[in-house]
Amino acid sequence: MTEVISPTTPEQLREAVSWALGSKNPLEIIGSGSKKTYGHSVAADHVLDLSKLTGIMFYEPEELVLSVRAGTSLAEIDALLRDKNQQFHFEPGNFPGLLADGVSDHAGTIGGLIASNLSGPRRIKVGAARDHLLGFEAISGRAEDFKSGGRVMKNVTGFDLSKLMAGSFGTLGVMHTITMKVMPCDEKTRTVLIACDDMESAGRAMTRAMGSENEVSAGAWIAQEEVGKFGMDMVTGIGSGIVALRVEGPAPSVAWRCEALRKLLADIGASEELHSANSHTFWRAVADVAPFAGGTGILWRVSVAPASGGAIAAKLVANTGGKVMMDWAGAQIWLFLPGGDAMAAKVRDIARLHDAQAVLVRAPDDIRNQVSVFHAEDAALARINAKIRENFDPEGILNPGRIGHRLTKRGDA
Amino acid sequence: MLRMPEPDQSTLARRKDIIAAMRDIVPNEGGVIVDEDQLRPYECDGLMAYRQLPMIVVLPENTGQVAAILKYCHTHKIRVVPRGAGTGLSGGALPMADAITISMMKFNRVLDIDWDNRAVVVQPGVTNLGITRAVEHKGFYYAPDPSSQIACSIGGNIAENSGGVHSLKYGLTTNNVLGVEMVTIEGEILRVGGKGLDQSGYDLLGVITGSEGLLGIVTEVTVRILRKPETARALLLGFNSSEEGGNCVARIIADGIIPGGLEMMDAPAIKATEDFVHAGYPLDVEALLLVELDGPKVEVDYLIERVGAIAKECGAVYSRISESEDERLLFWSGRKNAFPAIGRISPDYICMDGTIPRRRLAEVLTGMQVLSQRHGLRVANVFHAGDGNLHPLIMFDANQPGELERAEAFGADILKLCVEVGGVLSGEHGIGVEKRDLMPEMFTEDDMKHQERLKLAFDEDELLNPGKVFPTLHGCGELKTLHAREVANKFPDIPRF
Repeated sequence: MTEVISPTTPEQLREAVSWALGSKNPLEIIGSGSKKTYGHSVAADHVLDLSKLTGIMFYEPEELVLSVRAGTSLAEIDALLRDKNQQFHFEPGNFPGLLADGVSDHAGTIGGLIASNLSGPRRIKVGAARDHLLGFEAISGRAEDFKSGGRVMKNVTGFDLSKLMAGSFGTLGVMHTITMKVMPCDEKTRTVLIACDDMESAGRAMTRAMGSENEVSAGAWIAQEEVGKFGMDMVTGIGSGIVALRVEGPAPSVAWRCEALRKLLADIGASEELHSANSHTFWRAVADVAPFAGGTGILWRVSVAPASGGAIAAKLVANTGGKVMMDWAGAQIWLFLPGGDAMAAKVRDIARLHDAQAVLVRAPDDIRNQVSVFHAEDAALARINAKIRENFDPEGILNPGRIGHRLTKRGDA
Repeated sequence: MLRMPEPDQSTLARRKDIIAAMRDIVPNEGGVIVDEDQLRPYECDGLMAYRQLPMIVVLPENTGQVAAILKYCHTHKIRVVPRGAGTGLSGGALPMADAITISMMKFNRVLDIDWDNRAVVVQPGVTNLGITRAVEHKGFYYAPDPSSQIACSIGGNIAENSGGVHSLKYGLTTNNVLGVEMVTIEGEILRVGGKGLDQSGYDLLGVITGSEGLLGIVTEVTVRILRKPETARALLLGFNSSEEGGNCVARIIADGIIPGGLEMMDAPAIKATEDFVHAGYPLDVEALLLVELDGPKVEVDYLIERVGAIAKECGAVYSRISESEDERLLFWSGRKNAFPAIGRISPDYICMDGTIPRRRLAEVLTGMQVLSQRHGLRVANVFHAGDGNLHPLIMFDANQPGELERAEAFGADILKLCVEVGGVLSGEHGIGVEKRDLMPEMFTEDDMKHQERLKLAFDEDELLNPGKVFPTLHGCGELKTLHAREVANKFPDIPRF
């Protein structure tokens, strides 16, 4: 039977890891457990549950800094930031909702968010979750306390282990305290919607927009059959697929840039604008990958060079019969396969051909047991990664198998 | 006094063989430097207080040669010091008597400009400004702009995770680099990152950036470029106290405005620069803010007005807005010449680089005045106020016995003060040898051991840039051992279900 250990303090966390190390009992580490099905399953009889290790250490809005215990819920943090009109600039979506039933109100913990380095639409302008992690404190697989970074914006003191921890899925250490950079919400937001059904034209349109002076903070393409999922009349009213481009900032600037974008892309199709609340609602839905949330079908996330997004998306659709949505101005393609087949070989062949990476975000357990969820890094990088892992967690007690090193070493499915 | 690892006598004894081997690998004219007079220019970097002749200097021209050199060094256990343009301020490229200095300055080509992906692929010896020069004809630029940008190399920027006056809005090197090719000490060629945004696996690009040449030698760099903002304007704001100036900075940011540049200078720095460049700075204020807004003209005009209003509320006693590009550049000329301006009024100076939480500024500046009196040396401050990065310039005369040591002790005290108030030892210059022995002020032994364990994954024999960043390197054996004190067999007494 699985036993759940729920430390409430960093000391208790160290004790738990220390016990696991001494008794060679691997741990499955969870925050709220909302992203358990992202990645490979962990073979462990003990669950280390961080959801009781909570609390705001400090929040200084004028300094743009927030420090919390890793188990603090994103819902609580969101409310706190919203109260001061601030936000995480990388605007993470409701990933748990995407993975599970799509109606989950359980948006996970800050620890889980950072451990999986998830970022939303604004990533193209302001960077990923990892770029907003200022510092952390953790217990490594050696049951030792270690920290890196700090609470200030600019810091090159020692190796930047914060980058290493972000996206490491708890395989190097268990973070208990996380310090984040936060940012003020922009005064105004508007979104230009341009009618466009063709993926390659959409890709080119986004490339032109991103290369312009208009400081586009998000760019997405939604197919006509998916726009209904946004539940917004103004969006469905366009009656076709859409390229969506967001601008944010002071009011006069936003209006000016919207106008400039509409002129720039007038040859693509008719355009429309979403203002303030509508713009917010729209991008919230893009962050949540609304078209493909709430289902159980297979979902891939393909990371590509932005300008090749349109062409690769078209190819993926042609070869798999799936449906796609593009975010990050083409650099992130969501591929939804309604059938039960992940078509991993096809997806990965296309990715490889374009120097892209495909991650299997959502799939039933049996498929994730056979297919590598993450992109298989080349042998030289895999060796370095394995050594880092071994140096931080020599007995392999932290989330063994979660990022599937054994699988990736064997090669792709 | 700075202690470096003892030179390895067996390496020194093999110098002739090593030179021959290097000439085999790099047969190009001038590719291997061995004569003392030609080694001399390499004896220090931008931290000129420390000098050491390298054993030899090698200037490879391609990745294959770098791989062959490192493989040879790995096989024969020879230490290596990587070097870019040599402008670093923390001594990261300080040579060692028994080490090969590998200069990357022959890697000076722009390889690919990918306008559609807004990415540029360059060799590491290309200067920071060289990237902007290559793309500015189409209205693009590379955002991080360290003050040495005319000379410093992008490879060095990667090593130090360099910042600049625009990092508040546009980030440091780490936020603007997309990928690198790096050769490990074993001679293996790694390709990390690329033109896409997210990669699976540990974020090696994130840790390579800022690793000060301890993990490998970067042979190719992909950076993202941005469209140059349509326009930029600047405000000069004077205050009667640094407290008021600091408060104004906080208010601007709290108002949701992230300026392209947000700099502050204290009275001694204002006077020194005004005497030097005559930028028209007011001499009767205690703190001067330089705020730059960039973007579409309509946005800049709007924000200039808002910042002006905030400044008024914060008690600004001087306010001037740039009305032309020439005037904007004039405002900046003072700030950008602050270092040479100090050089004019003092025979020598050292530039410190701590970062603090912004609201502790007044307290830190006051503390610095106390330290200034205690050490009997003058100090002037320029400050990347937006992100809390201080550059105290400590003035001294190296020809006066003991003054360098006093200046260093003063500098160390300033950095300790930064750490005390919640800040860090270095905001953008790196640790190198300069701040190496202060690392324990910020990190515990276990903190540093975990950093070293990252190094170990790349360079188990600790051949790459020894003596830098870490006060003492723990041996591989010590780092890998699991200590008995770390493990407990008793099931922890904590809630479980």
